Amino acid sequence: MTRKQKTSDTLANDSLTAIILEIPLNLAKAIWGFLVKISKNRSGFIGFLGLVAYFILTFILPSFIPFDDEANLDEITGPPGSRIQLAVHVDNADVYQSLEDLEGRVVGVVTQTGGPSFIAPYEDTLTVEEFRWSSRRTGPGIQAALTALANQEIDAMLIFSKSVDEVITNQEDPDLKALFDANIVISNPTLGPRHWLGSDTQGRDIGSHIVHGGRILILTAVLGGVISTGIALVFGSLGALLGGTVDNVLTALTNLILAIPRFPLLVVLAGLISFNNTLFLGVLIGVLGWPALMRAIRAQVLSLRERDFVEAAQSLGLGMPHIMFREILPNMISFVIINFIFSITFAMYEQIGLVVLGLAPISDYTWGVMLYFGRTRGTLFNSDGASMALSPVMAIALFQVCLVLFARALEELFDPRLRSGLV
Amino acid sequence: MVSQTSPMLEDAKPESATERIIERAMKIYQNYILRVLLQAVLTVWAVTSFTFILIRLMPGNPIDVLVEQILVQEGISYEEAYARVASSFQFDPDASTLDQYLDWLGDLIRFDLGESITSPGTKVIDEIARFLPWTVFAVGAGLLISFILGIVLGMAMAYYRNSPLDHLLSLFASFITGIPNYIWGLLIVIILGIQFGLFNVGQLRGTYASDVEIGFNYPFISSALAHAALPIITYVISTLGGWMLNMKSSTMSVLNEDYVNVAEARGLRDSRIISAYVGRNAMLPLFTQLTISIGFVLGSGVVIEEIFVYWGLGHYLFASITTRDYTSMQGVFLILTMTVVMANVLADLGYGLLDPRVRVSGEK
Repeated sequence: MTRKQKTSDTLANDSLTAIILEIPLNLAKAIWGFLVKISKNRSGFIGFLGLVAYFILTFILPSFIPFDDEANLDEITGPPGSRIQLAVHVDNADVYQSLEDLEGRVVGVVTQTGGPSFIAPYEDTLTVEEFRWSSRRTGPGIQAALTALANQEIDAMLIFSKSVDEVITNQEDPDLKALFDANIVISNPTLGPRHWLGSDTQGRDIGSHIVHGGRILILTAVLGGVISTGIALVFGSLGALLGGTVDNVLTALTNLILAIPRFPLLVVLAGLISFNNTLFLGVLIGVLGWPALMRAIRAQVLSLRERDFVEAAQSLGLGMPHIMFREILPNMISFVIINFIFSITFAMYEQIGLVVLGLAPISDYTWGVMLYFGRTRGTLFNSDGASMALSPVMAIALFQVCLVLFARALEELFDPRLRSGLV
Repeated sequence: MVSQTSPMLEDAKPESATERIIERAMKIYQNYILRVLLQAVLTVWAVTSFTFILIRLMPGNPIDVLVEQILVQEGISYEEAYARVASSFQFDPDASTLDQYLDWLGDLIRFDLGESITSPGTKVIDEIARFLPWTVFAVGAGLLISFILGIVLGMAMAYYRNSPLDHLLSLFASFITGIPNYIWGLLIVIILGIQFGLFNVGQLRGTYASDVEIGFNYPFISSALAHAALPIITYVISTLGGWMLNMKSSTMSVLNEDYVNVAEARGLRDSRIISAYVGRNAMLPLFTQLTISIGFVLGSGVVIEEIFVYWGLGHYLFASITTRDYTSMQGVFLILTMTVVMANVLADLGYGLLDPRVRVSGEK
């Protein structure tokens, strides 16, 4: 003690800087070592990169990409890549290429679509003429707008690429079709912002929904995983270490919960508890999801208990906490981490399954909710709109695959039996 | 085990009837098979009682659900709708849960699952008998195919480990297990069914075409197979990867055993070593997992059958949950729990038959 105090004065400054430098350095070293290890396992590396990409997509990108909540009538179920285009009279095809070229001219837009909000910043420099979306009610409709353009009553027209198809290419009225074909051209097909993943049944950008819809889903799954792994770890090690009545009770409880058909039970519970909060669902899934893992952890602790180093610690009279946290836990932490990842995939599976059935909260617009609406609103049967269901399906599927690939790679890294390949 | 207890019985002569009963009970409890069966029955009872209470705690009851439907559809007053629905149902919403529970338990002992609440006159057991075979068919076929395929591919992976084939199959297995089974179902419907139009999704609803006669004839069998094909494919894809990876690691540990080396040293044919020495032993741990996965797959049938509109037990369960048909839900939960518990009992008891080592250590 005294020796330490002597040196501590002289080392005070050094050690402080050393600590400040060393902690991030060691951390970086550990991370670098892990990266080197995981990069040797090709599929594990793919999974790891995928998870990093998902982290960026769902936790960082939402601050840059706003959630598109504005319903646009002409952009309903637009296929991936569709965007607002500039339609002009055939004589002006080379003149009017952008909104700047149209200074002082009359530009038509259709109300209740993406056009008006897109043109709003330019309203000072050019004259905007609004047309109604539907011609059934009073006022000129989109056909009237195009007719006006064809007759050069207006100079240009903002039009969504899908409406171009519907109104010009598939025009049923032969006279109008001839008029449109002869007079209207798209001078700038890449004018407006592009819907990378198309637009949903309300004309909203699916890409922005994918960016925003993952965070709460992943957090819920991680919460479910943390809770179920935590309960399994506590119960499993308690049962194995204490034995006797505690073990019997815990094992009986585990067997009982294992016998309950888990997903149908969740379906009933989802009806029983009306969730306002998606995260609450994670708690429920976690509370129900621990028994299988508890069995595995109990078996692990039981086998580790018999090892020499644990018996040595016991004979030294080190207490139960020491044996658990210093001797046993470090030896099965990799096993716990891997199973934690798998329990995340299960939690994800269950919560989205509930959403698909329409039983989970839909207040957060997650991938699951997108999928639910995509399915119930029949976009599956519309090849243009299938993106509304297909995008969340792919987002979920790839996320799960990345998790599994990563977990399997960790398994191989940590398990010497698998690593050596047993050749 | 029984032989161990018999000397004790001779020492302590039972004196009264109650003591004799207690000793008999102890003897039964010490018999392994009887104990497992007793535990199974107790588990089923506990789980169904638990679900019985949960189901009745759900908001709304069968009458409320239908009353609300009628109110929306016909626009009559609430009292009128309530009176109409309540008179047609044999269900008293004011009866206490305990009374309902005792009634139900009394019926259950006589193997009577009661009548459906929302469609009076229909016996729940008949409804289950109508829906269950289709689920058993689809789930059973799916699990069987994926189990066999997984064992073959998993052994191939272990034999050619670290070869390109192994890496490719490992990646494939991780990929297909990662994706949830209902996502597979949706992908099949969206991509194959709708985008590529390989089959007509609408026609494959239900369990068989309406214009065929049930029986052992070609149109019925082909139609039933066609309707079950999509759920079966989904079950196969979603469970195959797990079998492959488990079989691979199991085979790799068996390949290291001495008896395999001895068999090789004895110059046995490779085919014999693979089937009788490696395959048989490597498959053992997978049987336990098979019984566990039966429960999981049955449970997940709720979503799969909804996606494919396949009229099996999961579809029936979901329909009865949405209409709050208590007795039907109760019946399905009983069947599901019994299946899971029975599968576990079979695993416990059957493992000894499959693996002589367990049998021997159990007798010690």
